[in-house]
Amino acid sequence: MTIDFPSGELTAIVGPSGSGKSTLMHLLAGLDKPTGGQAWIDGVEVTALDDKGLTELRRHKLGFIFQFFNLVPVLTAVENVELPLKIAGDPIDEEWRDRLLETVGLTDRADHRPAELSGGQQQRVAVARALISRPAVIFADEPTGNLDSTSSTGVLELLRSSVAELDQTVIVVTHDPKVASYADRVVVLADGRIAADEKISGEQQVIDLMRDV
Amino acid sequence: MLALALRGLGARKLRSALTAFAILLGVAMVAGTFMLKGSLDTAFDDIFATANEGIDVTVQPKLAFDSGFDTPASGVSVPASLIKRIEAVDGVSKAAGDIGDDTSIAILDENGDRIGPAGGGPPQIANNALPEPFNPFTWTDGGAPTSDDEVAIDSITADEEGYEVGQTISISGREGVKEYTLSGIGRFGSGVPLGGASLAVFTTPEVQRITDMKGKYDSIDVEAAEGVSPEELRNRINDALPSKYEAQTGEEAAAEQSSDIKDGFGFLTTALLVFAGISVFVGAFLIFNTFSITVAQRTSEFGMLRTLGASSRQVLASVIVEALLLGVLASLLGIALGFGFVQLVTAAFKAIGFELPQSGVVVPTVAIVAPLIVGVVATLLSAVIPAIRATRVTPLEALRDTATADERTTRRRAWIARLLVLVGVVAIGYGLFGTASFGGALPLLGLGLILLFVGVAMLAGSLVSPLASLVGRPIEALRGVTGRLARENTLRNPSRTAVTSAALMIGVALVVFAAIFAKSANKSVADALDQTYVGDMAITNTDGFSPFSPSVGRAVAKLPGVETVSPIGGAGALVDGKTVIITGLDSNLTSVANLDWTDGDDATFENLRPDQAIAEEQWAADHGIAVGDQVEVTAQSGRKVTVEVAGTVRDEVQLLVPTLALPIDTVRAKFDSNVDFLDLVGFEADADVDQTEAAVKALVEKRFPQAQAQSQQELKDSQSDAINQLLAVIYVLLALSVIISLFGVVNTLVLTIYERTREIGMLRAIGASRSQIRRMVRYESLITAMIGAIIGAVIGIAVAVAAVEALSDEGLVLGIPVVGIVLVLILAGLAGILAGFWPARRASKIEVMEALQYE
Repeated sequence: MTIDFPSGELTAIVGPSGSGKSTLMHLLAGLDKPTGGQAWIDGVEVTALDDKGLTELRRHKLGFIFQFFNLVPVLTAVENVELPLKIAGDPIDEEWRDRLLETVGLTDRADHRPAELSGGQQQRVAVARALISRPAVIFADEPTGNLDSTSSTGVLELLRSSVAELDQTVIVVTHDPKVASYADRVVVLADGRIAADEKISGEQQVIDLMRDV
Repeated sequence: MLALALRGLGARKLRSALTAFAILLGVAMVAGTFMLKGSLDTAFDDIFATANEGIDVTVQPKLAFDSGFDTPASGVSVPASLIKRIEAVDGVSKAAGDIGDDTSIAILDENGDRIGPAGGGPPQIANNALPEPFNPFTWTDGGAPTSDDEVAIDSITADEEGYEVGQTISISGREGVKEYTLSGIGRFGSGVPLGGASLAVFTTPEVQRITDMKGKYDSIDVEAAEGVSPEELRNRINDALPSKYEAQTGEEAAAEQSSDIKDGFGFLTTALLVFAGISVFVGAFLIFNTFSITVAQRTSEFGMLRTLGASSRQVLASVIVEALLLGVLASLLGIALGFGFVQLVTAAFKAIGFELPQSGVVVPTVAIVAPLIVGVVATLLSAVIPAIRATRVTPLEALRDTATADERTTRRRAWIARLLVLVGVVAIGYGLFGTASFGGALPLLGLGLILLFVGVAMLAGSLVSPLASLVGRPIEALRGVTGRLARENTLRNPSRTAVTSAALMIGVALVVFAAIFAKSANKSVADALDQTYVGDMAITNTDGFSPFSPSVGRAVAKLPGVETVSPIGGAGALVDGKTVIITGLDSNLTSVANLDWTDGDDATFENLRPDQAIAEEQWAADHGIAVGDQVEVTAQSGRKVTVEVAGTVRDEVQLLVPTLALPIDTVRAKFDSNVDFLDLVGFEADADVDQTEAAVKALVEKRFPQAQAQSQQELKDSQSDAINQLLAVIYVLLALSVIISLFGVVNTLVLTIYERTREIGMLRAIGASRSQIRRMVRYESLITAMIGAIIGAVIGIAVAVAAVEALSDEGLVLGIPVVGIVLVLILAGLAGILAGFWPARRASKIEVMEALQYE
């Protein structure tokens, strides 16, 4: 299979369990080694990198959003947001950080620890954390899998606006048509193959696409 | 539930193995100690049974009291004329005088040095050649000495030194060095090693000459005539002789001699058991922590079991049974490892020249039962609180992710902890300041420390935060975000960090305590020597404490430049129903030593009559003795001597006047003590100090190699060497508990890393390198170790300062080894990093994928 993800787009990879959507994301993000083939991100051949190169890649070109938020419980919201830069030893662009906090709506909760935040708030911190290093691409793995519908909407709109306003590239892996409906483009996988790859508008279109497969 | 517990152990192999190891080491030490004791006891029984073989009855002077570790044996003897009186008793077939003297001779090598380890070593015993059937030797080469120029040596020493019959051997006796021809080599009994001791056999007149026993024997060996039982003969002899002599059967004598020496070695067993106890105690912390963590991690499992209908008792049983299995398994392995411990101790003793007498490792029942009980009970006790916590898990909690600590229990725990600390401090304080005797203070001190350690470990949760900041902030400043995360990680579960570091705290506290105590003792001894000994040199036994021949001092006194040699003798005696050491002082003492008079002056001492004494002020006060009082002193021979107290002095360090000091001639004449413990030497005012010093040293070295002459400074150095050697042994023994506590750090880290798998994967996902993860874990380990080390150092310093204060009226002056304590802290930090090494590697192998795994 060959697939491109142009920058500044929100792409959803959907498909039922076992369709290979997670595997595809793992290969794209350099989390898993393919038995054959190549993956490139922003001009770098991911599949050719060693552990050191992958670490560098993750520091500067990749962002992750997880289903279980995965914030560091002992750090405050703002510290969690800054963490990738600190790990990389990069200077912190305070203006950018504050803007992100504002965008995710957590300026007044910046000094709270994750346990003091709701699930939706935690995931919004995770979104800001993924954005802080201005990565080439953000991978979001079932980002709303652990949220109620109100919180889900908030997080999805946030991802949407990060693409629209910050020109961010985002790839979402999900089995939920509602989540996919926020994307510019939906890639449907089935049995490890691309079954559909279309620009979409509206949740119904996604449901139809998935049903067709 | 048994099956579940077994599965649990199997499933958590690594953790079970680490936990088992904590118990195993302590148990091995307990088992090894009992095996060592069993082996030594058997060997000593063997040795003394051999020595008394063929002796039906032995006749000795009846002693008023037994000499022991703190009361030196006096040279009480029997006269040669007693043999005739014994031979006259009906039923006696044969009687012979027996001498075995372990303080008089030194067997020399070709350089004129005592064979064996430098600076003392195992005893070298001078014996007279005994006629059959009393002779315990089997001559493997040559035979018994037949002239005063011949000597026979035991086969083990001969092998070690490569002796051959006919060669010349120099032996130094009380009157100086003499050359002997080796007449024979003999196997003693079955050839059991004698603990490094050497036996030299001389003719009777020769041994009497070199041990200053002319016309005297230590005991008389008796053979019974045909048809007379030893018991019968013993009774007949006792009836026939005056009551100052005592007859025993050979078996009774062997049992008594063996039990005496076994008692002497009792301190070794006790000391090893104390350190084994410390190791087990530290191990208990580790077990407690491991079970606490796993119970917390298994909350959902327990909740699930409850929803399936398991009662809380069944949950309790599953944890307890797991602990029981672990305890039994670890104890059994520990007992097996005990053999290794015996070999280790034996090898250590051999390395310093004291070959422990052994005829194979003996495993008494107690060496199996005691460690098994200790290991299992320690494991169960440590697991019981975590197990009870497991029963509190409700089915509902299984569904929630985090179990929250109950506010009330937390507060109750804090109160219990404070109570433990308080009782511990009171026990330590009472032990130090409230009890009169050292023996009474130690158990209280031990109990107090145990309570204090447990209490502090429980309270330390609240100390973790400030200490983690203290240690963690510099790391954070230097190493940035990994340091920050490491510090925060130690604060995640402060009580867990506290218990983990508490294990190390115990070891560090004891090390610091020992270091301060040793430094204080060194300082006090040095101060006391400076103040008391104002002469130029001091002569002691080469081992620093055993007695030596008065001939040494007499010979030194004749050297040009030497003005004064003041001998200090001593003997055990009975005063007021207690055994004490009395000293014998020469009237010339005041020219080479300062006496700190509280009643009287130097003239009092110089004019002391033979029936007068001076007393140590504190001792006199304790016994209600005042100047002018008549005091009855009983010698070991039973002779009663009454002396008048003419004056009192302060002698806190017990250098010259620990209790009573009598004129030395009185001690020599009436207390059967023909030895010196110390000779103080003063030079003439116009003597060349270096030259005279060299001359004294040369004389002592050449003619009396069992003694040594030292300058003031050398004497101080050798005293502190002795203390430092003891300190080194204590460090080695404490090292085991420190190693166990490091396993605790490893174990906790491994378990918490397991808990944080997903988080670590996430850190990798957002750009953390493997080495950053490794660093984070190592810093966490370092911080945990340092928390324990700092709290431990504080406790160690506090208790040591209190202990020194309590002993200040015994002359102890506080000395704090600042460099040493800093070094301990640095080493603890390094140990922490070392302990974090392997968990850090494990953590760094966690892949990003693991952060993405769905539940």
